[in-house]
Amino acid sequence: MVRIKERYLLVNILYPSDSAQPPKPGLPSHIQLHQPTTDTMTPGSLLRGIKKEVEILYGDYGAGMLNGLQIKYLSLATSTFIIKCSRAMCSMLWSALTFMSRIPNKDGTGKQCIFRVVRVSGTIRKVEEEAIRQSRALIVAAKQEASEAQSSISGITRQTADMQAPAQSHFATVDDSDESMDDADG
Amino acid sequence: MLYDLNIPYSASTSEAALSSTLTLASTLGYHTVALNHIYTTVPSTKVDSPFAQLPSFDGKAIPNILHRATIHFSDAATQHIHLANLIKIFDIIAVRPTSDEAFSKACLSLDVSIISLDLTQHHPFYFRIKPCMMAVNRGVRFEIAYAQALQADARGRALFISNATQLIRATRGRGIMLASEARSALMLRAPADVVNLLSVWGLGSEKGMEGLGSVPRSVVVNEAMKRTGFRGVVDIVQVADKGPDEVQPAAAAKQEPKQKRKGDKEAGNADKKNKKMKVVSREAPK
Repeated sequence: MVRIKERYLLVNILYPSDSAQPPKPGLPSHIQLHQPTTDTMTPGSLLRGIKKEVEILYGDYGAGMLNGLQIKYLSLATSTFIIKCSRAMCSMLWSALTFMSRIPNKDGTGKQCIFRVVRVSGTIRKVEEEAIRQSRALIVAAKQEASEAQSSISGITRQTADMQAPAQSHFATVDDSDESMDDADG
Repeated sequence: MLYDLNIPYSASTSEAALSSTLTLASTLGYHTVALNHIYTTVPSTKVDSPFAQLPSFDGKAIPNILHRATIHFSDAATQHIHLANLIKIFDIIAVRPTSDEAFSKACLSLDVSIISLDLTQHHPFYFRIKPCMMAVNRGVRFEIAYAQALQADARGRALFISNATQLIRATRGRGIMLASEARSALMLRAPADVVNLLSVWGLGSEKGMEGLGSVPRSVVVNEAMKRTGFRGVVDIVQVADKGPDEVQPAAAAKQEPKQKRKGDKEAGNADKKNKKMKVVSREAPK
């Protein structure tokens, strides 16, 4: 008996400031980008939105193959969620997330956003660790930016520090740590 | 180093929109972007820089900015593009051929570094292997701009996928450069997302990463070489100072005889010099 292989995707929802809503002055850009999700979004509505997008892109085939989809974790305060899918359909789900540009809701008037996949893993533990690490890096980056903004106001020469979160990787890493276990569980 | 060499810019682009696009590009991990000015007709001999009123972004985390021109042209026979004037103003020159002759001219003879196509439209020609590979071997790169697909309707998306897969097949995935052509910040995507998207469409993830990293880098470096280097070929760079721990005369003296040729006076001199230095380093008090 071989167990069904899964993939867990850690996804961030990003809100770039658009011209209709100019950013608040003094707000660090990292906070602006990772702002909480204010639309009413439940795991169910998110799943429906993703399934709809997959159906638009991949048709009946995609909708049929996408079984076992499950939201494992959804945090509106940090705009982060973890989604589980089968391994074969992982890239299909990921490309559908790339094509989404709004928070899914019934009438399609959700806030405009970007769904960014930051980690793909075979076990949920690694994804959770990554989520914690990311939010820690975000806090550090936001604090650094805020303190730099203050020092520039008070006339101290700014350091040309790299404003990015130091530990942020630009390519999501694909982790196959479950592969070795598969043979063992008979 | 990640590059996004296509952010459309015109005089009507608002400062807030441009600033939010650039800060997002920086946060997503792009180190260098190129602001793209589009000429819908072949420009005349005299052109002014469209980037004169570019706002300054002091204190904001934005990537390095390059200036790029994209020239739309369809008639290969009558029009002659005066590249010499454009080279002075822009860092990168790209063309967008819209007809068969124009496409083959761009592939075979035009001295540009990027061929950019609107992949959401039906082209009156199809991408044959021979001119495409010729272009790639000549150092011209094909651009696939993913935001075209993101904002297209169903028909446009289908055409985009069809054109992109044809292009990947014709070039065998070599010389494909990925860019965004994002008209707003919402159309930008993270590098990993782009690579996954292209891997669904048949460009392997290794090639996809190259398309965001080393391929656009080669474009930028080659174009810079054309402008600063001697006759566009030889570039003069500063020789780095040798640090105190880098010079190891003993090791250098040992390696020297291997490379020495008969009757090579210079090598002999260097050897002597090294020996001298060796002696000196021994004598020097520790």
